[in-house]
Formats: sequence, structure tokens, C-alpha cells
Amino acid sequence: MSKKGLELQNNTPLNKKLKEIFWGAWCMQTNWNYERQMNTAYMYAMSHTIDRLYPEPDEVDKKKEAYHRHLEFFNITPQCAALTLGISTAMEEEYAADPENFDPGVINSVKVALMGPLSGIGDSLFQGTIRIIAMSIGISLAQQGNILGPILAALISIFTSAPITWYLGKLGYTRGQEFVRQMSESNLMEKVMFVCSIAGLFVIGGMSASLSNLTTPLAFGESFILQNVIDGILPKAIPLGMTWLMYYIIKSGKIKPMAVIVGCFIAGIILNYFGILAA
Amino acid sequence: MRLVQTLIVVLISVIMKLDSRMFGRLNFERPLLTCTLCGLLLGNIQVGLAVGATMELATLGMMSIGASGIDMNMGSLVGCAICIMTGADIETALTVAVPMTLLNTLLDTVASVIRIQFTHMCDDAVDAGDFAKAKRVDIVYGPVLYVLFTIIPVFLSVYFGADVVQSIASAVPSWVTSGVSLGANIIAFYGFAMLLSTMVNRNTVVYFFAGFLLAAYSGLGLTAIALIGIVLAVILYSVKYIGNKSAVPAAASESFLDELEDLDN
Repeated sequence: MSKKGLELQNNTPLNKKLKEIFWGAWCMQTNWNYERQMNTAYMYAMSHTIDRLYPEPDEVDKKKEAYHRHLEFFNITPQCAALTLGISTAMEEEYAADPENFDPGVINSVKVALMGPLSGIGDSLFQGTIRIIAMSIGISLAQQGNILGPILAALISIFTSAPITWYLGKLGYTRGQEFVRQMSESNLMEKVMFVCSIAGLFVIGGMSASLSNLTTPLAFGESFILQNVIDGILPKAIPLGMTWLMYYIIKSGKIKPMAVIVGCFIAGIILNYFGILAA
Repeated sequence: MRLVQTLIVVLISVIMKLDSRMFGRLNFERPLLTCTLCGLLLGNIQVGLAVGATMELATLGMMSIGASGIDMNMGSLVGCAICIMTGADIETALTVAVPMTLLNTLLDTVASVIRIQFTHMCDDAVDAGDFAKAKRVDIVYGPVLYVLFTIIPVFLSVYFGADVVQSIASAVPSWVTSGVSLGANIIAFYGFAMLLSTMVNRNTVVYFFAGFLLAAYSGLGLTAIALIGIVLAVILYSVKYIGNKSAVPAAASESFLDELEDLDN
């Protein structure tokens, strides 16, 4: 039982701990591996706290245990790792303060319980919504030769990712398990997914209609131009059809991604040669 | 000159690789940003933007979650650099990007075996009480491995590939180039569909069509669509989750009516 370690940890300013959590979360994929995925990165992020909690030479076994605890399998959206890191930090402190009554196994089970749902929220928020919005705005401006496009895309990415990571770390550390309980009671996950899926799908719909175009040069005689007929009914009907064709290819799961990409090029060359489709 | 240009591209590839490793994936790995940077530093910003937009479009849906998905980021950057250095068409970037992506997938398989060894090194270091080494394996060895497996193929392919690509590009007939360009447009829809497949279900497919129809009929730009989408999401959120609270005054007024009825009686 180390008074010195606890003192050291308690005297560390909150902002310093939050900075460690922040960078620990952003560095979550330094050594991504098939065996335990983000395990070494989690250990690294927790190492600052563990080092402070067990400074004495006779506590080295406790320290090893703690390091091993955070070398277990872990996988999450990096930004969301801040929340679990915050909770783990608070729990490590609790355990160090009261090792007799605190089961350290709980530290890992909380991590494991959170990584699934948090990755679900995190991926749909960061990869599925923020990235899509940032990039689609960026692409549409870049297509006009405007450098503001990529700049905006970068700014949107930074100014969502950074504050969210910081805030999640703070939330996890200061409110910890209480927050987790509230999260499941208030259906927070369901709410975030609800908002993300509406905004995300709305933009994906807009993207299918405006970011990339497919038209048909097919015509019978001079009076019947197929594209004009399509434009009169539903402009962008071909892009819409192509999106859903691809959707069913993905859903069937029979064709590998690389084969689809190569197939697209071959189809592009053939359809272009026979004048069926044009970009 | 060629060497300096290649080294600039190598530098960009370091930023690209570390983005997802040490900066929580800030999208600096994406073609739109790497290619723009490449154009800016190699002195042809317009080609950088055009290649960046094309490649971003083609790969937008390819999420790199964990190990799944295809990572065309390296291929895009190399393709863009070669385009600028040789003055070739934008379609050339795509034809360079695809084989580079295959190479990248292959190399990453090798690197992933080494990374598992790193994990075991970490375990052993902790057992031996060498905590500094355990940390070093994660925060130094890991990123260095990732960077090495990126800069070596990038350097070789940009430095030596430019000539090869130039000689091939001048030999390819134009119907193939325009076909490849059409193919790139089709790939974009594969990307859209990939995004769609991760988010859509029976209840939410209507929002896809809402966005699509608004853009198709109005011709509004994507900035407008994105903002409208966010507003729509917030409105529907308040209808669904906060709407219950506004039901309270309604209930109150009902009871008020009840009271009035009581008074009548």
C-alpha cells in the first residue's frame, strides 16, 4: 500500500492528466495488430498514471500487473478511447487507494463493455457523418478548383475531433462510471445514432445526386435522346440506379472489394467504347 | 530536381501515415488533403485539387475501420505526384493508384506480422520490468514501422515510376483513358453504396431519398445539402425526444378543460 504513489497522482494537475488521456486516445493505433488490436497503445496511454501510482521498487509486481491489465485486447474509435481512458484512470486510482475492497478485474470488464457501443457511436459519428460532410463539401469546392475546399475539410475535421476527444476524456475521468450508467439509462447511444443516421444518409443521398455524374449518350434517330427523357422525369436517375446496383453487390457479399474496383474500370472501358454510358 | 520532388512526396506520405496512427485520424490521410498538399508543394495546385477531388470521390466510401477496407491513400498520393511530375492526364493517377493499392495491401500483411511480434516484445518487456522499453515499443517502434513501410514504396515508385508511367501513358489510346475516367465515376458509386450499407435500414432509407431528390431536382450544392441535413436531423431529434416534454402543457390544458367541464356540471 503506497501512500507516496497516491499522493503523486493526486498532486498531478487535472489538465496534465487530461492531456495524457487526449494524446493517448489520438495515438490509439500506433501498433494496431491482429492479435490484440490496440492493446499496446492502451498500455502506453495508461502508463503515465500507473508509473505515478507505483513509484516504489517494492511495488514493481503491482506495476507489472497494471501494465498487463491494459495489454489486453482493445479496439475502439480513437476519439472515443478518451472516455474509456478517463474511466480507467479514475478506476486505477480507486484501486490503488483501496486494493483490498476493489476488484481490479472490473477495470477491464468496464473497458470491454464500453468498446462495442462506443465504436458504434464513434464510427458512425466520425467516419460516417463528420468525415462525409467535411469531404463532400471539400470535394465540391475542389472540383471547381477552389483550394478552400480541402482547407474547410481539414478545419471541420480538426474542430470536431479535438474538442470531442478532450471532452470525452474529461467526462470519463471526472464522472466515470456514473456517466456510463446515465448513458445506458438515457438511451444516449440511440439518440446519437438517430441524429447521425439522418444527417449522414441525407448527405449520402445528396452525394449520389451531385458529386459524380453518369449520363447516357444513347439516342434513336435525332428525335429520341434517352438522357432528355430521363431528365424530364427524374434527373440523375442513372446515378441513383448505379448506387443501388452497387448496394446490392455489397449486400450479396459475393464479390471482393478489389474485384469490384477492377471490374468498374473494365465496365467503364466497355460502356464508354460502345457509347452506353458517359461520365 | 526529381530527387527533391520525390523527397517532398515522401514527407507528405509520412504525415499521411501518422494521421491515423498518432492524430486520431484527422482526415489528413485522405486523398483530398494529401493531393492538395502535393500540388501545393510541387507547384501545380490545380492538378493537385483535381486529382484529390477525383480520388477522394472514388474512395470516400472505403472506410478504413480496423483492418478491413481498402487503403487507397498511398496510391492516390503517388498517382497525384506522378501526374504532376510527368504532366500526364488526371486519369493516370487512378491507373497508378490501383496497382499501388495492391502493393500496399501486400506490404501491410508483412508489417502486420511484425506488429504482432511487437506486442509480444511489449509483454516480455513488462515481465522483465523494463517498462521504458514496453512504452518505446508502442510509441516509437510501431509508428516507425508504419512509416518505413510507407516511405520506401512511395520513394521507389515516385522516383523510378514516373518514367515508366510516362512511356505507358503516351502509348495508351484515348478510348481507354476516357473509359478509365468513366470507371472512376462508377467506383464513386461503389463508395456511396458502401457508406449507405453501413447506415441504412428500412426505417431510415427515406432520408437517403430526401437528400437525393432535393439535390437532383434543385441542383443545390453539397454545402447546402449538408447544412439542411443537419438541421433536419436536429428537428427530427427534438420531435422524437424532446417532443414528450412539450406534451406536458398539452396535458395540463386538457386537465384545465376537464376542470371547466367539472364547473359546468
